[in-house]
Amino acid sequence: MQKVAWTELIVAILAAILVTAIYPWLGQGALGGFGVLGFAGVTVLFLRRRGNTVVTDERDRQIDERARLRAISTAWMMLFLCLLVIIGWANSSNGHVVPTAMLTWLVWIHFTICLAVKGIAALLIYRKQEHAAQN
Amino acid sequence: MRNHIRELRSAAKGMTQQDLADRVGVTRQTIVALEGGAYTPSLALALRISQIFGKAVEDIFWLED
Repeated sequence: MQKVAWTELIVAILAAILVTAIYPWLGQGALGGFGVLGFAGVTVLFLRRRGNTVVTDERDRQIDERARLRAISTAWMMLFLCLLVIIGWANSSNGHVVPTAMLTWLVWIHFTICLAVKGIAALLIYRKQEHAAQN
Repeated sequence: MRNHIRELRSAAKGMTQQDLADRVGVTRQTIVALEGGAYTPSLALALRISQIFGKAVEDIFWLED
């Protein structure tokens, strides 16, 4: 379902743009901009059956599974790398203290990355299959 | 994995990709991917397709070297 992948990617990009845009004015309050990620829920509207038309099938589920695996792996790896950097920074220059606000940002940024990577991975798999089918 | 779906479909009184998709319960895009060899079907889908054409699975699908 390419519509779902596009929606997830667009929602993740919109959230990142919104948070970046309002951060200079709102500071920590800009975290609220990540609420836009909730719009990813509209993807269920694309999955509603219309009459006897098949909306999704085994290929869509397989692609969704592969994309989700890539997204979670990427976000998980980045989370650990970021935590290593933060711990290093806190130990060397911040008196062994990690601000909780920083962790909150980290979690939200990784939700956004996860959604964006899932969208991109799904779109790439769909495109690769379409390209292969044409040859 | 390669297959004879396109040939069988044409032989079956010009059955369209959408007709086949509706009969086996998948989207037309999946039939396109199948015919192009870009997607390997599940065993259940391969069996449903073989039922539609009245042939054995191995007569429709084969492994590429």
